[in-house]
Amino acid sequence: MQHHDRDDSHYLTWPARLDAGSGPAALTRALTERPAGAPLALHVQLPFCRQACRFCASQRVSSPDNRQAEPYLTRLDREMVLISRLRLDHPAVQRLHWGGGAPAFLSLNQMGDLFDRLDARFGLSGARERDFSIEIDPREADVFTLRHLQALGFNRLSLGVQELDLRVQKAINRIQPRVLTESLVDEAERLGFHSLNLDLIVGLPLQTPEGFGETLDQVIAMAPARITLRRYAHLPRRYRPQRGINKADLPDAAAQLAIMGEARDRLDAAGYVPFGLGQFARADDSLAMALEKGHLGRDLQGFTPCPTSDQVGLGVAAISRVGDTLTRNAMTLTDYEAALDASRLPADVGHRLDAVERMRRDAIEALACRHELNPSLLTKAHGLDATVALADALQRLTPLCEAGLLERHGECLRVTAEGVWSLAHLLDAFDSRASPMS
Amino acid sequence: MPDSLTGRRRSVLHETRCQTCSLSSLCLPLALEIQDMDQFDAIIRRRAPLKKGETLFRQDSPFTSVYAVRSGSLKQVTTEGSGDDQLTNFYLPSELVGLDGIDEEHYPGTAVALETTTVCEIPFDRLDHLSESLPELRGQLYRSMSKELREDRRMMRLLSRKTADQRLASFFTGLSDRFRRRGYSPYSFRLSMSRADIGNYLGLAVETVSRILGRFQSQGLVEVSGREVHILDLESLILVAEEEGAR
Repeated sequence: MQHHDRDDSHYLTWPARLDAGSGPAALTRALTERPAGAPLALHVQLPFCRQACRFCASQRVSSPDNRQAEPYLTRLDREMVLISRLRLDHPAVQRLHWGGGAPAFLSLNQMGDLFDRLDARFGLSGARERDFSIEIDPREADVFTLRHLQALGFNRLSLGVQELDLRVQKAINRIQPRVLTESLVDEAERLGFHSLNLDLIVGLPLQTPEGFGETLDQVIAMAPARITLRRYAHLPRRYRPQRGINKADLPDAAAQLAIMGEARDRLDAAGYVPFGLGQFARADDSLAMALEKGHLGRDLQGFTPCPTSDQVGLGVAAISRVGDTLTRNAMTLTDYEAALDASRLPADVGHRLDAVERMRRDAIEALACRHELNPSLLTKAHGLDATVALADALQRLTPLCEAGLLERHGECLRVTAEGVWSLAHLLDAFDSRASPMS
Repeated sequence: MPDSLTGRRRSVLHETRCQTCSLSSLCLPLALEIQDMDQFDAIIRRRAPLKKGETLFRQDSPFTSVYAVRSGSLKQVTTEGSGDDQLTNFYLPSELVGLDGIDEEHYPGTAVALETTTVCEIPFDRLDHLSESLPELRGQLYRSMSKELREDRRMMRLLSRKTADQRLASFFTGLSDRFRRRGYSPYSFRLSMSRADIGNYLGLAVETVSRILGRFQSQGLVEVSGREVHILDLESLILVAEEEGAR
C-alpha cells in the first residue's frame, strides 16, 4: 500500500475526463432530454467552514462569519432559477443532500431560507420515504441545530469525526472532543434520524495503529449505522491547507497497513459489513440489506440503497449526473459567481458517455455494488461485445484473480471477501486515464 | 395623588379574599368549607402587583413561602453552572409557585413576572401547620404537588423524545387546556412569554420556534399575530402533539 495520490471518492464520478467549455450546453441538453416524470435528486454544495482543517481537499471558504454566505446563497438561488427554467418534469424531490464545507456553518435562518428556496424551485417531498441528508461538522452544530434540521425535513446525517486522538487532532488543526459527537449521535437518534454515518480518515499525520484502534473503539461504542473510512491523500501543491502538514509526520506504508488492519479487526468484530471504498454499515442498515438483495446503487455521495436517479448538483464544484452526462460546476467561488452573474449555468466541464463508456460505467457499477462482473450480461445489455470493449480492463483484472481478490465462475468474475477490502484496486483496472477531476 | 393611588391599591388588596376570588375553585382552598376558608385566608399575605420583569424570588434564596398566582403569569428560570439559563416553568393564574423549594429550603430557580402579576403569598410554615387541622387543605396541597410532578414527567418525555413540531404543538395544546380549565377560551389567548422564552422552555432555537409557528399557520392549525394566538384546529394540533416519534 502506498500513499494514494487521490482518495477513493473519484470512483463515484467516472469517467474522470470532462471536457472544458462544454458544461452548460451538455447539462442543458441532458436535462431537457430527460424522460418526463423521471425522479430528480439534488445535491447542494456549501463550501463554507469556520476554520480550515489541514487535511482538507475540498473547495472551501474559511470565514468566521456566516454573513459571508449571503452572496453565495443568492447565487445558489440564481442557479436554481436557471435550472428550473428548463421546465424539468419530475415528481417531488425525494433525495436531497447538503455537503460542504460545513453546511451547519449557515445560520439556522439561512438554512431555512435555502430549504424554502429549494422547495419553491423544485418541490421537495414531505413523504416519509424521502432521503434528505446533510453533512455535519460536530464543532458547528449542537442539539438545537439538529432539532432545527429535523424540523426543516432532514432525516439522515453524516458526522465528520475524522480522528479522536488529540495528537492527531492538533496536527490537523481540528480539535474536536468526543463528547461533541456523542451528544449529536444521541440527539439524532431521539429525533428519528436514520442511517447515521460517522466519517473517519486514515493516513493522517501522527496517526498510529493504537491511537486509531482506540478511536474506532469509541466510534463503535456510539453504534452508528454506518462508518466511512476515508483515505487522506497528501497533495500540498494542490490543496493549500495541506501545506501545514509535516510530511514526516504522515504514517508510512507499513503504518497505514497496520492502521487498516486494526480497523478491519474491530469493524469485523463489531459486525460491520464492508462494502469497499471505505464504506461500512451494520447488517441491519438499509445499505447492507440492499447489498444482500442486489439492488445496492451508487450516486455521487457514495453507496445508496435507493435506485440512483438523475442528480443535479448546485453550488461551487458541484457535480451533476443526468442520463449519460456528467458535468461539474466551476471549482472556484469567483468563477462560479461570475458565471451566474452573467446568467450562465456555472457548469464549466462536462462529458457525455459514448457506448463503450456506458458499458464501462455499468461494469464498474456491477463490481462495486453487486461484487461481480458478467461480460455476457453486459454484452446483452449494451449490444457490444464486452470482452472486446473491456479487453484492457479484463486483462488488468487477470492478475488480481491470482492475487485472490477475484474468483472466476465461468466467465463471470466475483469479488472475494478480500477483494472487497481492495475494491479501489479492482476499479483501478477501468481507469486507464489520469484523473483531472479529483 | 399618591395618597389616592395608595388608597386604591389598599382597597384592591383588601378586596382580594379567598371567598370572593374567582380562582378559589382552582386554588388551594378548593375543598375548604366557608368557615375553614377564613382560617386559610388569614395566613395569606397579599402583595403589591409585580411589574413585568420583576422578580418574585431569586434562585438559592431561602424558601419561606409558596405563591398562588392570582393574575398575570410568571416564568421560573434556573441558571446552570455553565451560566446558561434554563426556563423550567410557566405559571398561570391559580397555579402554585415555589413548591419545589420545600425540600432543600431554598428556591431552585428565579421566578420572574412576565406581565403585571399579582400573587398571594402563603407562608409555608403556617400552611403546613394549618393543613394539620384541615385535611382537605392537605389533600389539595398533595394534589397540586402531584400535578406538578406529572407535568414535569410530561415535559421530560417531551424534551427527550419529541420533535420540534411535536414540542410546539404540545405547548399550545397544554396552554389551551390550562386556559380552558380556568374558564377562559381554549381557542384564543395571549402569550405573555416571548418566542425566546418559548424556545428556551421547549429546548428549541428561537428560529425553529418561528419557523414552526409559520408552518402551523400555513397548515391552518393556528393563527398568530404578535402574541395573540388563535387555535383554529385544536384536534389536528393534538394529533401533531401526540404523534409517536419523529416523522
